[in-house]
Amino acid sequence: MTYQSFDFPGKNKNSMIKFDHVHLAFNGKKILNDLSFEVKRGEKVVVLARSGSGKSSLFSLVLGFLEPDEGQVSFAGQPVDEKSAWEIREKIAYIDQDVSLGDGKIPDLLDFVLKLKANIHLDNTRAQLQELLEYFEFDQEVLTKDIENLSGGERQRLAIIIAVLLQRKVFLLDEVTSALDKQLKKKVADFFITRKDWTCLVISHDPVWLENPAVKIFNLEEGKWKP
Amino acid sequence: METVDLSLVSLVLTFLLLALPVVLSLKFGFGLIKPLFYAVGRMTVQLILIGIFLKYLFLWNNTWINLLWLLIMITVAVFTAVRSSAIKISKVFIPGFLSFSIATFIVIFYLNIVVIPLDNIFDARYLIVLGGMLLGNSLRGNIVGISTFYENIRKDAKKYLYVLSLGASHYEALLPYFRESVQLALKPTLAAMATMGIVALPGMMTGVILGGASPEVAIKYQIMIMIAIVVSTITSVVLTILMTLRVCFNRYGVLRREVFVELKNKSNGS
Repeated sequence: MTYQSFDFPGKNKNSMIKFDHVHLAFNGKKILNDLSFEVKRGEKVVVLARSGSGKSSLFSLVLGFLEPDEGQVSFAGQPVDEKSAWEIREKIAYIDQDVSLGDGKIPDLLDFVLKLKANIHLDNTRAQLQELLEYFEFDQEVLTKDIENLSGGERQRLAIIIAVLLQRKVFLLDEVTSALDKQLKKKVADFFITRKDWTCLVISHDPVWLENPAVKIFNLEEGKWKP
Repeated sequence: METVDLSLVSLVLTFLLLALPVVLSLKFGFGLIKPLFYAVGRMTVQLILIGIFLKYLFLWNNTWINLLWLLIMITVAVFTAVRSSAIKISKVFIPGFLSFSIATFIVIFYLNIVVIPLDNIFDARYLIVLGGMLLGNSLRGNIVGISTFYENIRKDAKKYLYVLSLGASHYEALLPYFRESVQLALKPTLAAMATMGIVALPGMMTGVILGGASPEVAIKYQIMIMIAIVVSTITSVVLTILMTLRVCFNRYGVLRREVFVELKNKSNGS
């Protein structure tokens, strides 16, 4: 499997995602207040916070869907700005809590995703797809289903498969195990945590992530790492 | 064949026909009498005024006045098209005005210079009449096109941002919405063209024939005008969408909520 390089020339190669004194407010309500933390290459970090406390906005800031009111967000040492955001999106795989994959058949969606200019160079995706479908306990016939007829758990697993097929090494995972049963939750968490060269920033309340000794936990409300 | 002019008495007799819908509305309680008379009244007054106005416009036949009137028609068309979408007119008036003007002028000048061809390409009889016909139809297409495009992206915000997160360029992420809205905008025009002559005799052709021209002339003009309509509609819809992108999206490819009428909150992208 070949991975894209995600290094920006001359930038800090050890820092993958960095929030540096970030402030963010919606309609006058403070969401993030002087937030600073860093996720290093290969780390698996779970962000812990109450719902509605702006966890998802962390990902929007990394992807350039939001701009901080103050402070700076960086990816691989490169500040997220109007230009770099487009390159950064080509290097990160993001899965939303309630991922919206549209309608139509799964192969059409895969076709659309893999034919995007940023992904067209990927090879071996067909063989990899078969392996992933098997690993994430899908029947072969799932490929004939309409996306809108998939259950919440099936949609989450499909989004994970797409993210993995993109052969990126940095993952933003927003409650990706919330609709899965216990066994699948563990399988998904293990899948990401055991890959040493993958960097994962995870939003989850799930013990499968939080109780894994390989995971670092960042408490968003306190702005501190959990010892 | 000579044109049979309608006398005032004849026109009044036409209004008598309205007795039929009035009776039907009374019998079945449609509640249509007030809106019917309001619509008929407005149409009559507006047409009388425009009739008087056109009479003088044709009489003076001044290039600058003709052009000015066409620009006024374009301005009204842009206002109407944008008002029906949720975009603030102040933000997109200029791109809308440019795209309507480019589409209308290209087609009109092509007809007036190449197709017909006229000695005076600014002749009111052609510039104003053709312009009105094209703008009226482009307007309908643009109302559908702009509204569908921006509404679908707003409705689909999660999916749209997900596609961007997959590494799509702005063009790649917008293309499905662009295609769908242009197809929808063109649908009524294409359907009307496909049934023309069989299901309905178009208004322009009817008018020309009743005005004394032979059906052959009427048909030739009708074909010309229908092709002009489809070309100006697709051109103006495509240009309007393309030219408003810069105003309606930020440089990260995210919709600017402040451009839309009712959503003023900051997008959080989730």
